[in-house]
Amino acid sequence: MFRFEIKKVFSRTGSRIALGMLVLILAVICWFAADVSYVNEKGDTEQGLSAVRSLREAQKEWAGVVDEEKVRQVIRENTRIRNSPEYRSEDVRQQEIAYSWGQGIMDLRRLLNCFYEENFRSYDYYLADGLSEEDAPEFYGNRVRLLREWLSGEAKDQFSDAEKEYLIREYEELKTPFYYDYMKGWEQLLEYSPTVIMITVLILGYLVAGIFSGEYQLKADAVFFSSLYGRNRATAAKVQAGFAIVTGIYWVQIALYTAFVLLYLGADGANCPVQITLWGWKCFYNISLWQAYGLAVLGGYLGCLFLTFAAMLTAAKSRSAVLAVIVPFAAIFLPSFLSDIPWQNLGKVLALLPDRLLQVFNALPLFELYNFGGRVAGAIPILFVVYVVLTALLPRVIYEVYRRTK
Amino acid sequence: MELRLSEVTKNYEKVTAVDGISCTLTRGVYGLLGVNGAGKTTLMRMLCTLQKPSSGKITWEGQDIFEMGGAYRKLLGYLPQEFGFYPEFTVYDYLLYIGSIKGLRPAAARQRAQTLMKQVGLFQERNKKMRKLSGGMKRRAGIAQALLNDPAVLILDEPTAGLDPNERIRFRNLISELSEKRIVLLSTHIVSDVEYIAGRIFLMKGGRIVLSGTAEELTDCMAGKVWDCLVPGEKTGMYLKKYKVSNVKSVHGGSQLRILSEEPPAAGAVPEKPSLEDVFLYYFGEKAGDEDVPV
Repeated sequence: MFRFEIKKVFSRTGSRIALGMLVLILAVICWFAADVSYVNEKGDTEQGLSAVRSLREAQKEWAGVVDEEKVRQVIRENTRIRNSPEYRSEDVRQQEIAYSWGQGIMDLRRLLNCFYEENFRSYDYYLADGLSEEDAPEFYGNRVRLLREWLSGEAKDQFSDAEKEYLIREYEELKTPFYYDYMKGWEQLLEYSPTVIMITVLILGYLVAGIFSGEYQLKADAVFFSSLYGRNRATAAKVQAGFAIVTGIYWVQIALYTAFVLLYLGADGANCPVQITLWGWKCFYNISLWQAYGLAVLGGYLGCLFLTFAAMLTAAKSRSAVLAVIVPFAAIFLPSFLSDIPWQNLGKVLALLPDRLLQVFNALPLFELYNFGGRVAGAIPILFVVYVVLTALLPRVIYEVYRRTK
Repeated sequence: MELRLSEVTKNYEKVTAVDGISCTLTRGVYGLLGVNGAGKTTLMRMLCTLQKPSSGKITWEGQDIFEMGGAYRKLLGYLPQEFGFYPEFTVYDYLLYIGSIKGLRPAAARQRAQTLMKQVGLFQERNKKMRKLSGGMKRRAGIAQALLNDPAVLILDEPTAGLDPNERIRFRNLISELSEKRIVLLSTHIVSDVEYIAGRIFLMKGGRIVLSGTAEELTDCMAGKVWDCLVPGEKTGMYLKKYKVSNVKSVHGGSQLRILSEEPPAAGAVPEKPSLEDVFLYYFGEKAGDEDVPV
């Protein structure tokens, strides 16, 4: 039964086209993710694998513990480049040559821009140029100071005292000094992960939508439900087939994406903290890049399972594949429309919608907190707990709804 | 082997589709005759546990079929009026799939599917996709799927719809062969489908069984009510309005009519031996057998 359910899905021309599209879109995303450029010492821009190698080599020179001395070195090197005749030249090529020298410290220079900002929410690309080596000791302390100032000023009404304490505690507990390494592979992998996951969910929603509506559309329901196993094992086989298709395709997709990006760009820097990146420096989840990616793909899988099960439930209830296909679309795109509604608690609601599971990368740096009787937790662990429970319940609900069909 | 219906009724909001039907079916072929909307399909769907009666009871060997659940469905073969299939499956795969949901083990399903494909004349087409089959072939595949589990109760709803005369004859013969060890309930609005093979025929109208019996018993009810007469051409219209006419044949000097009437409709009218079509026309009036009543 299970085998035939799978066969039903993939024998449809539409399903094959959808799978083809999935492969094609993945290839396009991989192409974007692998798009790395490097300016060599002559000021020429390199692309492709040679650019990756050169960038890796340049940044590897700065790999190591980011202690006070390392911060001094970065400031010193940045000052040296800034004061060079090439940097000050009006000639574009000379400027490119100066730029080429700074690619090794590019990540750390960005971090200086973040940590030495005057305001928690601002970013000045040239801020690092104004730093001196004497500023180095304040490097890690600045991050906590900026948070404290923001919480007591601009954001004083946004969080409860317990939430403020929680954030400061998490910031203070971050293990310092950071370890820095070339990490382009993980950065790109994380950045494009929401796109890969969301596209996969939409295609999977289409694939599984027909599992529970197919019999009605084809008018094969009478034979199905009048058979011995129609209202039990055959229905269970449908649920199992949906689970297997979603699980199989999702993980193959993720495996292909991960393997390509990490093989092409390199897997170095897996243990670097997310706070060493431009997107994640404010993040209060003290995790490494590989852990962040693990959360992103596990969250994606959970969200994917939940939404595709929801699509299957819709199909079982409504007997319509069209309505079922709409479910993942609505779950992904509706929250962006809802965000305009002027309601104080909207943010807390939106942060727990299933689309967040598909974009853990985007959710990680957000300050979305929940207070349960004095215990504060971030949205991401709550999302995991809530949706593990809901996702575990859904197959049973689908089974009961479908088997009781009249 | 006994399938019993006791005061079975099915209501849909304001409509009563099946109205207090009681009957007992044992081994053999039963024909369910009625015009479209008579309640045949609703009755059959209830017999297949697809719909529950609003009141009344259906029992198999004394047990309620809805309480029996899988134990009853194991005995059941059903060919619905609107027979759906999986268009991208081959005939063989389709039968194997239906075999699996009917609880057949894979090896048994393979063997049974091959036997049935030969029996219904689809063996040569076994690797053809279902969507590529002709209407008649699809119907034959439908019959094969209904027989996969060698059912004790075989329910066929309008099984000959869309079949050409040859295929209908072939189908009737197949049903006759199958009826030896099972209950076959055959619903149709085509009189000739049941005339030759059904041991007992139920005439259904407005959700009720208005008449039942063997073909002979039903036609005997019409004895003395079927007349053959020759009328002038210009009066044909008047006779068609006044009587139920089961046949009109233009002949030299007028029209030869087959009229259903308690009294002789015209001077010189000759009594005729009633046929099942006459019975059908008598009970179902002008709606009678669109396809089979000869004109």
